[in-house]
Amino acid sequence: MRENDMEAKYDFERKYREQILQCSRCGFCQAVCPVYGATLRPALNARGKMLLLKEVMDGKIELNDELVETLFQCTTCASCFESCPSGVNVPEILKQVRKDMVHVGTCHPAFKGMNEVLKKHTNIYAEDEREDFDRDHNQKAEYVFFVGCVGLYREDESTEETLELLDRLGVDYTLIDEACCSGVLEDVGYELNEDLARKNMDSILATGAKKVITGCPYCFRTFNNRPQYGELKEKGVEVVHVSQFLKDFDFGVKTDKVVTYHDPCDLGRHCHIYDEPRETIRKIAPNFVEMRDNRENALCCGAGGGVRGAYPKNSIAMARRRLEEVEEAGAEILLTECNSCVHNLSNAKLRKQKFKVYTTTQFINKLMEEAA
Amino acid sequence: MDERTRRALTDIVGEENYTESLIDMVSYSYDASEHSHRPSCGIWPRSAEQVAEILKLANREKVPVIPRGAGTGLSGMAVPVRGGIVLDLSRMNRIVKISIEDRLAVVQPGVVYADLEKVLAAKGFFFPPDPASGKASTLGGNVATNAGGLKGAKYGTTRDYVLALQVVLPDGRIMKTGSRAMKSVSGYDLTRLFVGSEGTLGLVTEITLKISPRPEATSTALATFDDLEDAGHALTEVMHSGIIPSALEILGRETIRAINQNTDLDLPEVDAMILVETDGYTHGETDYQMQKVLDVFNLNNPREVKRAENQKEASGLWEARKSAYGVLARIKTHFVLEDVTVPMSRIADLLKGIDSIARRHDIQIATFGHAGDGNLHPQILYDGYDPEQVKKMEAASGELFKLAIDLDGTLTGEHGIGLAKAPYMTLEHDETEMAVMRGIKRFFDPNNILNPGKMALEG
Repeated sequence: MRENDMEAKYDFERKYREQILQCSRCGFCQAVCPVYGATLRPALNARGKMLLLKEVMDGKIELNDELVETLFQCTTCASCFESCPSGVNVPEILKQVRKDMVHVGTCHPAFKGMNEVLKKHTNIYAEDEREDFDRDHNQKAEYVFFVGCVGLYREDESTEETLELLDRLGVDYTLIDEACCSGVLEDVGYELNEDLARKNMDSILATGAKKVITGCPYCFRTFNNRPQYGELKEKGVEVVHVSQFLKDFDFGVKTDKVVTYHDPCDLGRHCHIYDEPRETIRKIAPNFVEMRDNRENALCCGAGGGVRGAYPKNSIAMARRRLEEVEEAGAEILLTECNSCVHNLSNAKLRKQKFKVYTTTQFINKLMEEAA
Repeated sequence: MDERTRRALTDIVGEENYTESLIDMVSYSYDASEHSHRPSCGIWPRSAEQVAEILKLANREKVPVIPRGAGTGLSGMAVPVRGGIVLDLSRMNRIVKISIEDRLAVVQPGVVYADLEKVLAAKGFFFPPDPASGKASTLGGNVATNAGGLKGAKYGTTRDYVLALQVVLPDGRIMKTGSRAMKSVSGYDLTRLFVGSEGTLGLVTEITLKISPRPEATSTALATFDDLEDAGHALTEVMHSGIIPSALEILGRETIRAINQNTDLDLPEVDAMILVETDGYTHGETDYQMQKVLDVFNLNNPREVKRAENQKEASGLWEARKSAYGVLARIKTHFVLEDVTVPMSRIADLLKGIDSIARRHDIQIATFGHAGDGNLHPQILYDGYDPEQVKKMEAASGELFKLAIDLDGTLTGEHGIGLAKAPYMTLEHDETEMAVMRGIKRFFDPNNILNPGKMALEG
């Protein structure tokens, strides 16, 4: 490739030069960037990042450790892309930049560690003891339920209740000995781990299921969008997120509590799934209210893109800003469709904030349990 | 920054509010113009007292201080062209007070325009001068540039709403100007001197703004004209209707063509498209005003006049105007967005002149803007990596400014002089006026530490 384009030093430049130069520095991203919102430091905003890349392309600076703090501090929530008049897809550009940085030997240590962990373990937390939820694994079944790392190792209570709900609804599913989908590695400068992908596909295909239901919007994205998982589609296996799967069920329960919904970036801005979760919630919660920033404009919970691990203080600050909107909306229950969001929002919740945070499936299960 | 000054600055604001990191230095080199230059450091003060201490120090050491809000300016005003300290005021972002009874809001300079709007809207009020960058721009920046916006024709610009200021002078003294009373003719109007002074005279640390009840109803219509002359007459005669529309926007042929090439809006390729909005408290009132305006348009050979029947249709009519900036921003790697302003009767002459400049210099200039107050935005599109095109852009800009002045207009209606228009100041201002301006600058800032290099104040 270098022969064709002697001037470009990095891959990001070859792929995205035009787009980076399209940034007109209008600063509209500053109004929506969660990292800027939490820090009020313009260097961390999308515009600040594009300016650095422009200077790299102009040969004024190098991709080096000095740039890690901003180029590796992005939740990839895509709010900037959504509001950019010039159509600059910052999250995609940053993914490539991070790969270039890893290539020249500069990276945030947390992400380097994550890549190492996934070479030796099957989950991002390097946990060896797996919660088996007292359920059979790797059985023949109509559906595979794929939990995801956060649901397996950090939010297992929520997962337990989701599985209970599937049981109540009589869904014929099996769990599998799952490995991390490893899509996150692509976000933080590395390549998706093909061994783990192979392992997941083999486990899924062995069950004979034609549909995979994921509990995690990120796994859902990875299975559907990454070529390494293309074999699933080729073999006629469809992957849906649990919110899509549940939208046609009648649960027969209702709550009179005021309920609001947080759009996970991976489901909303990245996959444009806004309506199904709301249809389900409206069925069980007539007192549904929207937060000030919702759907395409939803504020990020601060967990994505590896930020929770690498920059925990700012990650929590981002979650707090989102939780202020829950308070403002007067909600008693905050529902979302992503265990990672639940995890970060719950950790950030202040004692005075009395509302509860659940995944939608978890909450429906609670209602059905009470009714029974 | 030398070690002694660095230590003195961090003593004032703390280590966590001071930076020399490369990432911050690059970020603070730019605004939304094509200018850039690295500062020596960045600092985030939290109070007027801290700002005073910083200025005292900078004045003593003769280090430039460049005040900065959101950095959305289009004229290089916030670019530290002589290096120095970028003083980022975005963390002084408290809404201090809103008093509906006294019809005012008191804010710190780092409050974002849209955040104030949100709070005011809940009370049925608004702060009318609404720059297109209002989602991100700070009120301190709006005051420093005297920002305008879509509603300028009816509601004026930021200057018309600033009642009082707290200002830190370059020697560190803190001064209050103006009054919280609705009227005051007490002494010289220093408030107005500071509004639009581009951070060259003092640092605004608190702003008292007049606010207005928010009109709830609007009517919207769109008219297209095959002939620029007709459009020009229609605009000139709007004033004869006795109505001042709350928005009166125009898109020129080149802009319409660009929108058609880059979207599926499929607009008629006419000489001019004019969008009108009237506002008030009942639909009867806004429809009455709109009819008067459209009567004038109908007398001037429009190709089409479309009136929105509901909010959805109104949004549809606005779509072309709203897409203009984004569409034009994508066409070439670089652009300059000008804001020349002429008396309203000269708008057609300005549009014709712009087309002629574009043809002569073989460069693309797409124009849209606020016809209601004669403030147009010719956007010159070019490739900044091609020296030939840069030359053409510069030549075209120069002629554009000359044209505006020849038409009894001004270099800038709302973006400010900054760096970009500094070389053209003497086109508009005679020797005596320049001398008075420079004298004022010397009086307030004898060591020229505040935002040096801007507004041609050093000549």
